[in-house]
Amino acid sequence: MSSHKTKNDWNDESTSEISVTLLPLSTEQAVSVLEMVQGPGAPRSYELYRVEMVIGRAIDADIPINSTDLSRRHVLIKRQPSGQHQIQDLDSRNGVFINGVKIHAAILHDGDSVQVGSLLFVYHEGRAIS
Amino acid sequence: MTFFVHFWGTRGSIPTPGHMTKKYGGNTSCVEIRCDDSLFICDGGTGLRELGADLLTRGTRPITGHFFYSHTHWDHIQGFPFFTPAYAPQNTFHVYGTAQGDKRTYDLLSGQMRSEYFPVDFGELRSNIVASHLDGGHRVIDGCAVSYYEQQHPGRSWAYSFVKDGFKVVYATDNEIDLTLSDPKAVVADPLAPRTIPDAFRRFCHGADLLISDAQYFDDEYLTKVGWGHPRATTVVDLALQAEVKQLALFHHDPMHGDADVDRKIALCRERAARMNPALQVFGAREGLELRFG
Repeated sequence: MSSHKTKNDWNDESTSEISVTLLPLSTEQAVSVLEMVQGPGAPRSYELYRVEMVIGRAIDADIPINSTDLSRRHVLIKRQPSGQHQIQDLDSRNGVFINGVKIHAAILHDGDSVQVGSLLFVYHEGRAIS
Repeated sequence: MTFFVHFWGTRGSIPTPGHMTKKYGGNTSCVEIRCDDSLFICDGGTGLRELGADLLTRGTRPITGHFFYSHTHWDHIQGFPFFTPAYAPQNTFHVYGTAQGDKRTYDLLSGQMRSEYFPVDFGELRSNIVASHLDGGHRVIDGCAVSYYEQQHPGRSWAYSFVKDGFKVVYATDNEIDLTLSDPKAVVADPLAPRTIPDAFRRFCHGADLLISDAQYFDDEYLTKVGWGHPRATTVVDLALQAEVKQLALFHHDPMHGDADVDRKIALCRERAARMNPALQVFGAREGLELRFG
């Protein structure tokens, strides 16, 4: 075996300059959004920027909405380790409906309609609000 | 009394991971039914692996579970060797046959863990796994009445109903109802005409708050798949209507169907239901969905 050191030797730790192009954020990195299409102040969008967010009538809810048919803590939206959002009814009085079906919990997908009391939202997955 | 129904696997035939099946999921059949403190598990397809992982996050108390297998085709048993709670000695699982001495399911579960198929032998599972049975038709387990019904499927399959305090959930997958219709020729002549479901199965499902039913095929697909053991989704709508079911979950989605196809199937079924009884609620079973009754 030759001991002669070539340019491609594995032991050569010198580096060459390369050109790097920044790519746009992937959808996984962008913030998912609940867009209120029916309810007080609609249309309006809420970024789901925390791991857990509560929607309710209570003033200290993460998304407080003044509507009498909302329970104080009506629904929890929780980001899973997978990046998906799970929605869960917090034993609310008027329930939570996904695409018209009353649910106790569900994983949200892009375009799902979320009805909470008389409020109607559309879930946008990994899409930042403008 | 409260029933919770959680869908862990809704796909038929074979797991279908990938972006085309992201919404409804790619894991094969597994549905968890919790009735107060009782845990009933319908089928052990690949969705069972995730149910097992979730059960371990719910606390440290010993787990007792009751397994009801529709049948033992691959897509209904494959998750069992990966069901982590089965490896812990404090847990107990009952695997139900139809009658005393019916150990077909128990034997198949252990058989699929022979060294030719899986590196861990069934005998090495440290939980207490008990071969139980439904007394030839009906048994009350923790106050919940469980019954079975033999369906139309190659190699046989069974539907199960769970009833407690006036609430009823029926799990009925891998059932080619179309082969049991009393008027199959009428269906060909006029696909929109109501399809008459056999009385016995209609009674079995009657009044269910939730019917989870195999709804694998579109009408046109079915014509080339007669005898494969699965129904037209539209026929299942007629079953739900004639059995006066409140909610119908379309289940066991075809592995060739992406989310858009399942959406289309749901829309067609809703259209058919709306023509006959708008009160029937039809939806597509999807992974992660949990319903509550009571």
